[in-house]
Amino acid sequence: MPDLSRLMREKNIIFVTLALCLVFYMISPRFLSLDNMSAISRQIVPIGLIALGQFFVVLSGNIDLSMGMGSVLFAIVLGVFFGMTGGVALGIVAVIVCSLALGFFNGMLVAKLKLPAFIVTLSMLFCAQGLSGLIIPRGQQIFLMGGFFRFVGAEKFMGLYWSFLFLVALFALAWVVYNHTRWGAAVIAVGNSEENARLAGVNVDRVKIGVFMFSALCSGFAGIMLSTRMGFVQPGLDGNGLLLDGIAAIIIGGTLILGGRGTIGGAFWGLLFIGIINNALNLLNVEDVWHQVFKGAVILAALGANWILWQSRQVEAH
Amino acid sequence: MTTTTAAAPPRPRKAMDSLTQRYLVLIGLIVIASVGFSIANDNFYSLANLGILLRSIAVLFLVSMGMTFIMLTGGIDLSVGSNVAFSGGVGVITLTTTGSAPLGFAAAILAGMAIGAVNGVFIGRLRLSAFMVSLATFALARGLALVIYDANSINVSNTTFLWLGGQSWGSIPVVIPFVALVFVALSLVLYRSTFGRDVYAAGSNINTAFVLGRRPERTLVWVYVLSGALAGLSAIITVGRVSSGQPWTGLYLEFDAITAVILGGTSLFGGRGRLLGTILGVLLYGIIINGLVLTGTNPYLQSLIKGLILLGVVLLDTLVQRRQAQ
Repeated sequence: MPDLSRLMREKNIIFVTLALCLVFYMISPRFLSLDNMSAISRQIVPIGLIALGQFFVVLSGNIDLSMGMGSVLFAIVLGVFFGMTGGVALGIVAVIVCSLALGFFNGMLVAKLKLPAFIVTLSMLFCAQGLSGLIIPRGQQIFLMGGFFRFVGAEKFMGLYWSFLFLVALFALAWVVYNHTRWGAAVIAVGNSEENARLAGVNVDRVKIGVFMFSALCSGFAGIMLSTRMGFVQPGLDGNGLLLDGIAAIIIGGTLILGGRGTIGGAFWGLLFIGIINNALNLLNVEDVWHQVFKGAVILAALGANWILWQSRQVEAH
Repeated sequence: MTTTTAAAPPRPRKAMDSLTQRYLVLIGLIVIASVGFSIANDNFYSLANLGILLRSIAVLFLVSMGMTFIMLTGGIDLSVGSNVAFSGGVGVITLTTTGSAPLGFAAAILAGMAIGAVNGVFIGRLRLSAFMVSLATFALARGLALVIYDANSINVSNTTFLWLGGQSWGSIPVVIPFVALVFVALSLVLYRSTFGRDVYAAGSNINTAFVLGRRPERTLVWVYVLSGALAGLSAIITVGRVSSGQPWTGLYLEFDAITAVILGGTSLFGGRGRLLGTILGVLLYGIIINGLVLTGTNPYLQSLIKGLILLGVVLLDTLVQRRQAQ
């Protein structure tokens, strides 16, 4: 049975996720109800967008810590434009422009000036937090009502939320880009070895700027999704929690944190895993104070598990 | 004749070492910043306020010194702020259940070291990236702190436990000479012990350190444990300062520490920097932050300014280094 054991090891996240579903189902049968399943599918959308953007950044050997607070800032940008014009079109354009600009800025600093990504994006995290609180004063909210927010937040198509379908479509697109385009191959090459990628004719700087622009765009989308789900925006939204969930999803999905290795499918399973854990913590009435403990422990455990897998592959290769 | 004079090497002008230059600049900036804030606020320069200022940044001093060791090895620790909350919680709970201050002190420091050891083992032994591991412990330690405190603060009245953080001799808080003592002790460790050499070696070139048998993986574990122990000490001081243990204390403290250390001239890539620079960095950064608080700046504007300071310093450093290299 070497094939089964290999499958168990390589695709372990699938089995762990299914086993987890079974356990939660036995504790509370409501867990697998259709209502709850569709609730999960909606809850994971912002996390999924963060995870997808972060996936390419991590694949290229970098990290974007500004994604969580960035999406809070972009949600507020959308809210402000909505409040001024009463429509969303201009707001969405503004979010896309702002997010691409932020991504370009991050990418330029990392690629051209060779600054470490975590320092650049850490300072951006604080700038985004500060800006979001300066745009809307502390304690105030902008309420978002209207057709668009109801449509994206609550309307379904064939039993599935539109927002979830958007996420799945984006993952599918990312899968194609990752597996079947030169750009996908270039990101992997940069993550494996910048020097080799450069020698092979890859424009390393452009790849880096590209992944940061994509991750910022994803956090812009995540901000829009966040605003449709909440129905209001305020600077106190938990951006860092979103960031941690997104990173946890891709690490659980087997993405190598040093770059150069990972799969979109794995990232998606990791996302489902995080979504299920978050949902179960609420459904089983686990006290709020425990949530962060679980998240930290899950990331640490996933880091350890990835390391063990990596080691066993090395042994196998010899 | 002319050939001999041309051949004679020009007398080498003794160039000031770039770190010393930086320290002079920092001292200048500290003077300018304090004069600026004392004009903006009459109370800034009173002796009492100096005591308050130093006491409020005492914790930043300790944490930043730990961060200096870590950054000298080329690592980073994003979990120190959460660790201050967590180890404070363990210390306060131990104090309230046993009623013994020494046990409380020991528990706080051991708890801090435990989180540090988790970081150290994952980063040093498993060779995982430091910001990723410490981001996980950032969430984990904060979560544990919330669990320990059940999301509420706990008042502390044990005078022995509060002594270090709360007591003053005249207008000098006890904690100031204590921080100075820690600085001297850590300087001895960094400059006069083989461990200190190993810290620099691990940061300069970890492969060479490994080949030379200096066991850099072990050095890495110990710097994170040291940083954890300093977080535990900081927790005791924080509890002493406000007479209560709070689950959200130390939020984003790691960010302040990283900025102060970089400001002090320690390289982000390891192997270069000194503790004295960190002290100056903390002083300058502390004066700016304290000044912003005293002048009643909007907290969101404060975080924007903090973000820009970090980015600005890193940018400036890189550009200056590029120019020197050319």
